[in-house]
Amino acid sequence: MADRNTTGYEDTYTESQVILTAVKIIAPFTLTYGMFMTLHGADTPGGSFQGGAIIGVTVLMLAFAFGIEPTRQWLKNSVLVGLVAGGVAIFVGVGLATIALGGAFLEYRLFDTVLGIPDGTKWGMEAIEVGGIALIVAGVVITLFFATAAGFTPQRRRSRPERETNDRTEVSDDD
Amino acid sequence: MSAVAYTLAIFILLAAVATALFRDVLSAIVVFGAYSLGMAILYTFLLAPDVAMTEAAIGAGVTTILLLLTIARTTRPSTDKLFESVNVPAVVVCGAFVLVLTIQLLPEMYAVGDPDAPVWSNPEVTQAYLEQTYDDTGVQNAVTAVLAAYRGFDTFGEAVVVFAAGIATLLVLKREVFA
Repeated sequence: MADRNTTGYEDTYTESQVILTAVKIIAPFTLTYGMFMTLHGADTPGGSFQGGAIIGVTVLMLAFAFGIEPTRQWLKNSVLVGLVAGGVAIFVGVGLATIALGGAFLEYRLFDTVLGIPDGTKWGMEAIEVGGIALIVAGVVITLFFATAAGFTPQRRRSRPERETNDRTEVSDDD
Repeated sequence: MSAVAYTLAIFILLAAVATALFRDVLSAIVVFGAYSLGMAILYTFLLAPDVAMTEAAIGAGVTTILLLLTIARTTRPSTDKLFESVNVPAVVVCGAFVLVLTIQLLPEMYAVGDPDAPVWSNPEVTQAYLEQTYDDTGVQNAVTAVLAAYRGFDTFGEAVVVFAAGIATLLVLKREVFA
């Protein structure tokens, strides 16, 4: 892995007892609600898109409360890439599996007729919802957050000497 | 439409106007989150809970957090003025546009829950899906059935669009890892 994984930006983190306590209480409930919405999207309102977003927002809340840097070291880059790419791979895999069984892309009823899985259509849909869309959305929400937090460091030309970039004038957002 | 729904609609309009007018970026972001939350409640009133959940999770949740993070990572210009200066001709043109659309279109719309509305009393499309969904797929939520089964290929495209958004962020920020 690359040595320059840490970007060296100053973390705008302030420890707040109120936010810490609130997030500690709320986070298990939001995570459970996101999982419920994902797993029950077939029979109740909601679905994997909303559920995945709520699961991702739970991680964002933790990052707000405990600081972005510790959260990012806890969730490695490979985990996030695995979430996003794995979701797409599962979705494609289900679609190609039905083609391999002799049907069209995502023709779920072949799980029932060829493989003999009871309620094959339902389970095929659950597979792409839970294993595909939920993973993609949760992963992309988290990765957008981390990528935005890392920010943009303009590439300097090699010929120019390195200059300090910490002399920026900003309005503090601590109020 | 009940009194609560009218109150919600007025709240949404006020929040939208305030988002456009506030000069401070942080205030605009907070009011924009409130606007999304109002929209989510209004969707619930219109009996579209799936859309309402999406609006609440994405509109009020993720968008607000990402915008807040953006002003934390960039600069936030400090101003003494509360509101932006209003461009009167633009407001007149936009207001006339909205007024004409309202006068022309609102009387044409069917009331919420009207059984004669074409989107509902449509034996070939809406009613057919509602009747066939459970027999075809075995799931009770017709919205999920349409999204994942009847138009599964489109949903696959949408999932890949979300995937591409993550990749595009890396490209724009010129990074190789999500960190």
